[in-house]
Amino acid sequence: MQSWYKSGSPWVWLSAAGVSFSLIAVLGLLWLIASRGLSYFWPAEVYQFDFTDEQGQTQSVIGEIYDREQVPYAQVAHLNLPFLSSESADSEQASGEHLTNEQQTLERILIKTGNRELTNLDFRWLFQGSIVKQSSPEHIAVIERRKNGDFYGFIDAIVSGGQVVELSQLPLLLARARNLQQQVKKLERGEIRSVNFELERLRLHERKLLMKNQLDQNTQQEINQQRAVLEQNYRAFEQSLNSVREQLMRDQIIVTAANGRQVSLDFADILQITYNNQLTTLDKVGLFLKQLAVFVSDEPREANTEGGVFPAIFGTVLMVLLMTIIVSPFGVVAAIYLHEYAGKNTFTRVIRIAVINLAGVPSIVYGVFGLGFFVYLVGGSIDNLFFGEALPAPTFGTPGVLWSAVTLAILTLPVVIVSTEEGLARIPSSLRHGSLALGATKAETLWRIILPIASPAIMTGIILAIARAAGEVAPLMLVGVVKIAPSLPLDGDFPFLHLERKFMHLGFHIYDVGFQSPNIEAARPLVYATALLLVSIIVALNVGAVAIRNRLREKYRALEQ
Amino acid sequence: MDNANIGRHISGQFNHDLENVINQAMHMGGLVEKQLSDALKSISQADRELAQQVLQNDYQINKLDVSIDDECTRIIAKRQPAAGDLRLIMAIVKTVADLERIGDEVERIAQVTLESLSGPQRDLLLSVDDLGHEVLALLQSTLNAFTRMDVKAALKAHKTDEKIDQSYEILMRQLMTHMTENPSSVPQLMTVIWAARALERIGDRCQNICEYIIYFVKGKVVRHTSAEDIKKLI
Amino acid sequence: MNSANSVSITAANSTTANATEQIALEIDKLNLFYGEKQVLRDISMSIPKGQVTAFIGPSGCGKSTLLRCINRMNDLVDDCRVEGKINLYGDNIYHRHVDVAALRRRVGMVFQTPNPFPKSIYENVIYGLRITGEKNRRVLDQVVEKSLRSAALWDEVKDRLHESALGLSGGQQQRLVIARAIAIEPEILLLDEPTSALDPISTLTIEELINDLKKQFTVVIVTHNMQQAARVSDQTAFMYMGDLIEYSDTNTLFTTPVKKQTEDYITGRYG
Repeated sequence: MQSWYKSGSPWVWLSAAGVSFSLIAVLGLLWLIASRGLSYFWPAEVYQFDFTDEQGQTQSVIGEIYDREQVPYAQVAHLNLPFLSSESADSEQASGEHLTNEQQTLERILIKTGNRELTNLDFRWLFQGSIVKQSSPEHIAVIERRKNGDFYGFIDAIVSGGQVVELSQLPLLLARARNLQQQVKKLERGEIRSVNFELERLRLHERKLLMKNQLDQNTQQEINQQRAVLEQNYRAFEQSLNSVREQLMRDQIIVTAANGRQVSLDFADILQITYNNQLTTLDKVGLFLKQLAVFVSDEPREANTEGGVFPAIFGTVLMVLLMTIIVSPFGVVAAIYLHEYAGKNTFTRVIRIAVINLAGVPSIVYGVFGLGFFVYLVGGSIDNLFFGEALPAPTFGTPGVLWSAVTLAILTLPVVIVSTEEGLARIPSSLRHGSLALGATKAETLWRIILPIASPAIMTGIILAIARAAGEVAPLMLVGVVKIAPSLPLDGDFPFLHLERKFMHLGFHIYDVGFQSPNIEAARPLVYATALLLVSIIVALNVGAVAIRNRLREKYRALEQ
Repeated sequence: MDNANIGRHISGQFNHDLENVINQAMHMGGLVEKQLSDALKSISQADRELAQQVLQNDYQINKLDVSIDDECTRIIAKRQPAAGDLRLIMAIVKTVADLERIGDEVERIAQVTLESLSGPQRDLLLSVDDLGHEVLALLQSTLNAFTRMDVKAALKAHKTDEKIDQSYEILMRQLMTHMTENPSSVPQLMTVIWAARALERIGDRCQNICEYIIYFVKGKVVRHTSAEDIKKLI
Repeated sequence: MNSANSVSITAANSTTANATEQIALEIDKLNLFYGEKQVLRDISMSIPKGQVTAFIGPSGCGKSTLLRCINRMNDLVDDCRVEGKINLYGDNIYHRHVDVAALRRRVGMVFQTPNPFPKSIYENVIYGLRITGEKNRRVLDQVVEKSLRSAALWDEVKDRLHESALGLSGGQQQRLVIARAIAIEPEILLLDEPTSALDPISTLTIEELINDLKKQFTVVIVTHNMQQAARVSDQTAFMYMGDLIEYSDTNTLFTTPVKKQTEDYITGRYG
C-alpha cells in the first residue's frame, strides 16, 4: 500500500479520473443539446387521440407527442378525472393506473396540437389513462404556416379563385404561392427598401444643406425633382406589390381539424404541407435536412419562435470578426510595448497586473462601460460631428454592431495581451541578439523575426478571445443586440457594411426564445437547436483559428522544443 | 620536485600519472647510475663476472625506456598538457632517451673489463677509472638536479662537463703516446679508447639532461648555446 | 580557383606581417560595470588586423563581456555601464554619435548556440542585406553563394537553399550563422564560444573555417576550450576575474606563459 502510494499511481488515477469526468461532462452536454435540438427538425409521427374529457365525453385531438412525464396521483387528485372513476368499467385502457393509492403516479403525455386559431393552447396534456383510442391516420396533413404555427388536419378541398379544384393540383398551387411570396419578398426587401433608403438619404442631404444654409433655389428644385422620381418609383413598386399580393389571395385550402371544424386557409400563409404518417425514412431524412437548412438560412417568424436564425448567425459571426479585427492589433501592440519597450520597473508590473485583472471584471460591467462611453459619448460625438442632419434620430449614438464589437474587443483585450506577451517571452533571446548583431534595429528585429515567431502565440490569444466573445451575451444586450433586427448590417446599399445598425445574436436569441417568448413549450426545442448552432459556430471559428495557428507553429516548430 | 608543482592539478589522475612517469624516470636514472658504477668497479677490480652482469642488466634500462616513452605518449594523447606540464613531459622523454644512450655507453665500458689487459695497459685503465669517477659524479649530480628540478645544480653540472672534456683530452693524449710506443697494443687499446670515448659521451648526455632541466623550469631552450649565453638567458 | 586564392592571400598576409601588425582594434582602459558590480577592470589591448585573437579564461572572467563590448551588444543589458575607449581603426565606438546598427554591420558576431532564424537558408544569409534594403536578386544570389562558400557550407546546402534553416545539423547551422554574419562583409568577426554546442568533428570544421576566415576578416574568438584557442588563434589573451592577466602570441602563451595564473589555468591547476 505504502509503495503503491509512493509510486505515484494514485495521482495518475486521480488525474485520469478528472480528465474522464471533464470529458463526460462535455460530451454529455453536447449530446443533450444535439439530441434535443436536432429532434426538432425530425418529422414526427402525427397521432389522432380519442379521449374522455372532464365531462366524460369523448373528444378527438390530433398532434405530435412532445413529452411524457409521471405525475404523482396526489398532485392531480383534486381534478375530476373521469377515467379514474370508471376504471372498473374500462379496465382494459386504465389497467396501468387502476390503483389509486397515494404513491401511485399517472403518466401523462404532452401533445402539440397546433391549430392556434381554433384552440387558445397549441399544447395540451393528456392522461394516458383517459385516452380511448390512439391512431395514426395516413391522411393527416401537417401544414406549416407563416402565422399561427402548424395546423393539423385533413384536407377536404382546394379552392382556386372561388372554384373547387382537384387535390392533385396542390403541389402546383403551392409552388405558385411560393413563387409569388418570393416576389413579394423581393419587392419588399429589395426595390422598395432601396427606394426608401434613397429617400431617407435625400431627406438627410436636404436637411444638411438646410442646416448649413446652402440650400438655394436650384438645389432645392433638384432635390424635389429627385424625390418626385423616387416617390414615383415607390408608388410603382407598391402597386406591383399590391397586385402580387392580390394574386396570392386567390387560392384557399379547406381543412377539417380534429374536432370536426372546417377551416379555410390562405395559400399565401402556407409554407409547406406534409403527410408525416406517409413518409418513408428516406423522405424523413430529406425533410429533416431541408428543415435544418431552412433553420440555418431563413429568417425568424412569430416572435422568433418559428423559422430560422440566419440573421442571428450572421450577426454573431460579423460581430466576432469585427471584434477580432479590432482586438488583434491593439492587443499585439500593447503586448509588444509592455514586453519590449516598457522599462522593467514597478510601474510596468502594475500595468501588467491591471491588464491581467481586467480579464476578471464581470462582462456586464463592460456592457455598462460600452453603453456609457462608446455609445453615448463617442457615438454621440460622432453624430454631432458627422451626422448632424439626422438628429435627433441617432446614427452612431445608439447601440450597434460596431459598439458591440468594440466593447467585446475591450473585454477580450487582456486575453490577447497576456498570451502575446507569453509568446514574446518564449522567444529565445539568442534570436533577437542574432538579428541585432547583423545590424538590425530593434524595430526591424521585431518586425522581421520576433512577430513571425510569436504569431502562433498571438493566434492562441485571438482564439481565446474569439471563444470568449462569441459566447458573451450580457454586455451585448446593452450595446447593440436586439430581438429582431429589421435588416442585416451588410447589404447592397452603399456603404454596404452598416456598422451603426443593431444586430441579432445567437446567444441573445437563445435567451429571448427560451425566456421571453409567448409560447415556451413551442420554443424549447428551438432553444436547444440554437444553442447547438452557437456551439458549432464557436467551434468552427476556433477550429479555423487553431488550424491557422498549427500551420504557423509547424513553420517555426524547431523553436518550441 | 618543488619546481615541478605537479601535485596541484584539478585532475588527481593527471597528478598520479605525472608522478608515476617522473618516478620511473628517476628509477631509470638510479639504474643507469648503478650500471655505470658497477662497470667502473669491474674495471678497477678486473671483475669479469660483474662486467657480465652489467652487460646483462642493460635490458632493464631498455625496458624502462620503452615503458616511460609509452607513458608519456599516453599522457600527451589523453591530457594534452600545456605550458609546464608539456615542458615536463618533453624533458622526461628526452632525458629518458639520453639515459638509455648512457646505458648503451656503459655497456662499452664494461666491455673493457672483458678484454684481458696486462701490465702497462692496466695503468692506462687507472686513468680511465679516474675519468670514470668524474663522469659518475657528474651523472649523480645531474640526476640529483633532475630529481629536484634544480636549475642551479643543473647549471653547475652543465659546467662540470668542460672539466670532463679536458680530462678526456689528457687521457687521449696518453693513449696516443702509448700506441705510438707500442703499436702491437693498438687492438687492445682501441677498447680503452672506446671506453674513454663512451665516458666522454656520457658527460655530454648529462649536459643535455641539464639543458632539459633548464628548459623545463625556465621555458628557455639553452641547447647549442655557450655557457656565458646560458647564464645571460637565465 | 582555390589555389589562386590562397596565393594572393598569403601575399596579403606577408604584407601585413611586413607592416608590423596593423592594429584593427585598440581597447583602452576599458572598465565595465553591471550595476554596482565591476565586471571588467582596466582592460587595455591591441588586436591586430587579419589575425585570430582568442580570449580564454574561466567562466565569469569577463571574456564574453569584453567581446560583446566590441560590437556594443552590452547595450542590451540594463544598467550596464562602460568606461574607457574601444577604437575601431581609430574611431571610438563608444562615442556618443556612433550609430550602433552601423557599427554592428562593421563588427559581426556569432553566438554560442547556433541561432538561425526560422526562415529558409537563403533568407537567413541575406537577412543583413534585407535590412540594408538590397533588393537586386542577382546581387543577393551572388552574396548567398559567396558567403556560403566562405563558410564551407555551399556544397552541402546548394540544392536546398529555400528549405528551412532549422533542418540543418548543429554544425551546419553554426556555419550558416557564420555565413550570415560574413554576408554583410564586416571588418571584424566576433565569435562567442562558437563550438561549445557542437560535436568534435563539427568543431574541427568550424576551426578550419576560422583559419580561412582570417584571410578576409579580423577574428576575435572567445572560447573555454583552451586547446581550441591554441589551435586556431594567433594571439591569446588570458582573463581572470575581470582582469586581463596575460596577452601574447599563442605559441608563447601555451608553452611558456609568464604569469603563474595563466600557467595554472592552462595546465589545469587550482588557481
